[in-house]
Amino acid sequence: MQKPNAIEVSGLTKKFGDLTAVDNVSFNVSSDEFFGFLGPNGAGKTTLIRMLTTLLKPTSGRAVVSCCDVSEEPKKVRERIGVVPQAMTSDLDLTGFENMDLYGRFYSIPNRERKEKIKYLLDLVGLTARQNDLVATFSGGMRRRLEIARVLVHSPSILFLDEPTIGLDPQSRRVVWDFLEKFRKEDSMAIFLSTHYMEEAEALCDRVAIIDNGKIIALDSPNVLKSQLPGNDIISLTISDDSRLEEIQNAINSISFVHKVKPDGQTLRVYVDNGALNLTALLERVKEAGGVVTSVSIHELSLEDVFIHYTGKSIREEEAKKVNFFIGAGIPQKLGR
Amino acid sequence: MIKLFAVIERDIKKFRRNPVVVMMSLLMPIVYLIILGNSFQGKLKDLPFAVVDNDSGVYSGRLIDNLRAVEAGAKTFSLIFLTDQKAAVDGVRDGIYKAALIIPPDYTKRVKLKKQAEAGLFLDNTDTVSAANIRALVKSATGSIREEYVPIREKPGDSYIREIDLYSMVDYYQTLVPGVVIMSIFLGTMTAGVFNLVMDRFLGIDESYLLSPLSKTEIVSGLVISGLIITTIIAVFVFIASMLITGIPLTSGIEQGFSIFIIIVLTTLALLSLMFVILGRAGHPRIVGIFSGFLNVIFFFPSGAIYPIESFPGWLRAFAKINPEAYAVHALKSVLFKGAGLGVILSDLIFLIIFTNVMMVIAILTFKRNM
Ligand SMILES: Nc1ncnc2c1ncn2[C@@H]1O[C@H](COP(=O)(O)OP(=O)(O)O)[C@@H](O)[C@H]1O
Ligand SMILES: [Mg+2]
Repeated sequence: MQKPNAIEVSGLTKKFGDLTAVDNVSFNVSSDEFFGFLGPNGAGKTTLIRMLTTLLKPTSGRAVVSCCDVSEEPKKVRERIGVVPQAMTSDLDLTGFENMDLYGRFYSIPNRERKEKIKYLLDLVGLTARQNDLVATFSGGMRRRLEIARVLVHSPSILFLDEPTIGLDPQSRRVVWDFLEKFRKEDSMAIFLSTHYMEEAEALCDRVAIIDNGKIIALDSPNVLKSQLPGNDIISLTISDDSRLEEIQNAINSISFVHKVKPDGQTLRVYVDNGALNLTALLERVKEAGGVVTSVSIHELSLEDVFIHYTGKSIREEEAKKVNFFIGAGIPQKLGR
Repeated sequence: MIKLFAVIERDIKKFRRNPVVVMMSLLMPIVYLIILGNSFQGKLKDLPFAVVDNDSGVYSGRLIDNLRAVEAGAKTFSLIFLTDQKAAVDGVRDGIYKAALIIPPDYTKRVKLKKQAEAGLFLDNTDTVSAANIRALVKSATGSIREEYVPIREKPGDSYIREIDLYSMVDYYQTLVPGVVIMSIFLGTMTAGVFNLVMDRFLGIDESYLLSPLSKTEIVSGLVISGLIITTIIAVFVFIASMLITGIPLTSGIEQGFSIFIIIVLTTLALLSLMFVILGRAGHPRIVGIFSGFLNVIFFFPSGAIYPIESFPGWLRAFAKINPEAYAVHALKSVLFKGAGLGVILSDLIFLIIFTNVMMVIAILTFKRNM
């Protein structure tokens, strides 16, 4: 018999006044899947996670998490899940160990078992040496690792992580990824992770839902999502004289290894097979068409390109626009209350 | 239960780790005691008092001698002798003198003839405390020459007579102790209890509690109980310190101490649960800050801790009827100054218990378990 799904969501919607933060979302997550939610800031990731973790009431639709409907039996759901919210929630005035112990007691885990589990988890996240220091003295990365370890004390069957590496430097981010991978191999549980870093979704997730403006625009494994795009590499060419752009575009479109050309300002994004091998041939053709190339870059297709493909904009650009929101991670929601 | 203990332990740990908060909670009420004791009702000294003697007779001389005796002894006022009656009265009006006494030319003659002898006393009624003091002193000075004086040009109702001789400095200090203990409880309930919730909410830490299986009742009562423990310790300490400073003896020992402990515990619970109702949904610690100043005035001054409730107008008396601090002050005063047992203050205690229960129910019902 097939194991029941960890999460089943159908038609889930959340409105804040006129704004639809999560718009008629449906998906399932199986019981040992690493599921990613990828989208720019303001896409509705936090709102969705808050509905799934009983903190927000859905406007409409249904969500069954672990065992039960989140609206009908929130307490049962809370007992079975572990949630690391977007904002840091460890208590600065308590030590690392105390933070974990306090949490374990909320779940009524017996003394001995709790102590052992905390020891194991602190070791897993590499905080054993710092466990008796106040969290106020921790770095952002250490605090995050502590928070992830903390919600594992009661062995939840589903782990929710809302942008777990937001605000961390690249190195700390890598440490968190390694830890999640390692942990994943040892314990089987469903993990639901939201992020606006495509590398993060790509590196960790079995399946990724790409979300924009509250709607899921694509959902599959990173490889399948990428394979739906034409070609396997993108060569970006910046042309000095944009009056000839259309001519050049037509010239390279007819090459056999070129699948698609998308202009983006003075840059042409060329979807190709085997970019490294075909680069010289492509540049040759541009020259013939009278174009002067000022810069070239090749990259393998990524989820970023999938996002651009479906929305016509890049997550990075979205980030740049919303940089003010980003800095206050979690705060805009608070002000809205 | 294990969950509830976890919340309580957490709050107490956090409180202990903020030594500045602990020190302030202990010191502030004691500083209040010292400031109140010295600024409100210290003895008045050297009030400028103009005297115009138009009589220069035997009895006006005797009256002035009596005033000089006060000037030399208690030093409440210093006498300034003038000849110009108008200058004296204008001086009071301009605030140069606190009072002016005008003795008419026929004063001695009228006293001798056993007629009504009148001296005019002009008082600066804007300073009611000084005016009342001077009036009482002049009254006793004229009393001892067996003749009445009639104050003139004094608007009735603007001042009241205080029998100042009844209170010595130390006694006044002692009467402040119940108020100071209540003040320490109030401050304790502001830094513990609901404040932790508001602070955690502001820092975003509350999300992790809302995500845990803690129920509303566990969250609210955990915070109230930890607030109770912290505040009780502060209040008991402040009580003992103010006893030592003012020298009130505990006449009936253990029993009296126990009654005071019960009053402190019940008052703390009443205020903690009230704060939960008022501030349970506040999102910013600044709101607690603003409210704490406001609520302190609203509850403390109409509590009878400084002026008796009997002196309040009707509407304020009605408020005192539902003000938990008023019951606490009454109970503490009864136990401290009249040696009353638990039986006498039972109605105060019952009010505090009912009040706490009602507030707790409202606090739990209105507490928001989600975001
Ligand atoms: N409590 C709230 N009140 C009003 N609007 C909100 C509230 N919470 C979120 N929003 C809005 O809903 C949208 C989605 O927000 P959020 O779920 O936080 O996005 P993400 O986590 O993907 O960055 C945003 O436009 C945000 O401003
Ligand atoms: Mg978010």
